[in-house]
Amino acid sequence: MEVLKKKPTVFEDEMVKDAGTGDFDVEVSESESDSQEDEDVKLAEPSKNAIYNRDGLLDKLGDISWPKNVEWIHKLSFDIDQEQEVDVNDDLTRELAFYTQALEGTRQAFLKFQSMELPFLRTSDFYAEMVKSDNHMEKVKGRLLAEKRRIEEAEERRKARESKKIAKEIQSQKLKERAKQKKEGIESVKKWRKQRQQSGFAGMDKEGDINLPFEDGKAFERSNKRRPGVAPGDRSGGKARQGGGKMKKGFDKKRKGKESKESKFGFGGRKGLKKQNTAETTNDLRGFNNNDFSGKKKRKR
Amino acid sequence: MGKKRKHSETEVVANVKKDESAPERAKRTLLGWKDKTEGEKESNDSPAVFRSNEKVLVTCSRRINFRYRHLMLNLVSLLPHCKKDNKVESKQSKGSTLNELVELKSCSSCLFFECRKGKDLYLWMSKCPNGPSVKFLVNAVHTMEELKLTGNHLKGTRPILTFSTNFEKDPHWKLLKEMIMQIFGTPKDHRKSKPYHDHVFVFSIVDDHIWFRNYQISCPRTGANKVDRGDLDKMTLVEVGPRFCLNPIKIFGGSFGGPTLYENPFYVSPNQIRALEKRQKAGKFAKKVKAKTRRKMHELSNPLEPDEFAEIWKE
Repeated sequence: MEVLKKKPTVFEDEMVKDAGTGDFDVEVSESESDSQEDEDVKLAEPSKNAIYNRDGLLDKLGDISWPKNVEWIHKLSFDIDQEQEVDVNDDLTRELAFYTQALEGTRQAFLKFQSMELPFLRTSDFYAEMVKSDNHMEKVKGRLLAEKRRIEEAEERRKARESKKIAKEIQSQKLKERAKQKKEGIESVKKWRKQRQQSGFAGMDKEGDINLPFEDGKAFERSNKRRPGVAPGDRSGGKARQGGGKMKKGFDKKRKGKESKESKFGFGGRKGLKKQNTAETTNDLRGFNNNDFSGKKKRKR
Repeated sequence: MGKKRKHSETEVVANVKKDESAPERAKRTLLGWKDKTEGEKESNDSPAVFRSNEKVLVTCSRRINFRYRHLMLNLVSLLPHCKKDNKVESKQSKGSTLNELVELKSCSSCLFFECRKGKDLYLWMSKCPNGPSVKFLVNAVHTMEELKLTGNHLKGTRPILTFSTNFEKDPHWKLLKEMIMQIFGTPKDHRKSKPYHDHVFVFSIVDDHIWFRNYQISCPRTGANKVDRGDLDKMTLVEVGPRFCLNPIKIFGGSFGGPTLYENPFYVSPNQIRALEKRQKAGKFAKKVKAKTRRKMHELSNPLEPDEFAEIWKE
């Protein structure tokens, strides 16, 4: 039933797409025209001895036909005028002609049923056996979905291709621009240099727009702000060293030890300079522990 | 309603008496309805209530192609008033055997699919027992199983038949129209038919062929069950199938035989077409040989003049 609900929309889409004849019509009828070509040969001119018994035909028609006053409801038939002659080999127009004929017929039937106050289309809660099984309709649906997916995928691929092309163009443009900018920069520097040379350096100094620090001559000297007791390269400014020797008992003993170790061997910063001795550190005996000796004894025992 | 229609005005009226809406109901006996009132009815035949009790026998010849067999089965599923029968040996199909079969099944018309050489399908459409009958060549067959035909409709609802107006042009088309209408239209109140109408048959004459299409009527519902006029414009059709194209060959006076009333003057049988093609292909080698000998004869008859400069470069 779901399939049934789906179909009309799909079909409508197709209708919108190319004005009345969905592309499956084309596909189906392609094979048709193929089969037509080899089967449908006609004689160029009518054969002369063909029988045409007009009276006999009309007689028979009179014999079999239902009485004239039969109500329409028994026949359910309509005669629909074809607007123009249809070319058989043009599949699209031919199918369209059939479609319009059917549509016109249903419209007339609808009006007639409405005027007679008879039910026309089935109510939505009327379920009964259908001509095609649900199994088959599942297949049909699968096909439609596959078709849709295929179209979407193709579209995506096309888009990706196009965007790639555009991206390439943009990229090349950017590169060009960058190169241009660089060139301009270099050019402007050259220009400025020339101007400077022409006007002489002295004048420029007074204006003093370039007074770079390294022009003073004392450029790469070490700053003499060395604090006592701080290893060279110690970025903590000697703070890490504070309380290095003191050991507290209890909980934060371990932490202190860690701290002292870190202050001694460093955690972060350049190691090399830190490990060097200076005059102060050689004189500083805080790090040596007298108790070590006893400890060794204990172990020996 | 065991009585057969005999295709005449009076008989139709005679049928009427069995209708239940008739004021005086005939008495029911063990053997059917009592025919006591027949005489009276015929005399006052004014409110002729018509009732069609068409039954169609659908059968095919042996060695039918699967495609054509599927087409036949599709038609069976479209016609709730038909009876399907076993395959018939095609040699026997001439004349009386089929007529007997139809009579045996108490049908009033017959669709007989005759397959020849496993590739040509002929369709006999006949009114039994006393004609007429038509023989068609069936072309461009698409069965309902094809996945490109996406529609579906209830099995057994009465179809709406639409005919193109050029059926009124000639007497033979008129006759065909009447036959098609009777055979393909499901009788009103047939016991296997369902209420509602949700599909349309198209019979259209293009290029002297009758083209058949079957569409589902689909209407977007706006909640209510009643369809109103607004929906009329939104009504769309989805093709259900099958598709086929009938090329009338001959119309006979009787059923499966009898005097020929019409013969298609343009008809070429598929056998002839194939033979023609073969002959065209066969001529190829003979033509080549002929051309060769002709050329030789031509060269012999007018020889080249001796070339005067041929000697110059011989040194």
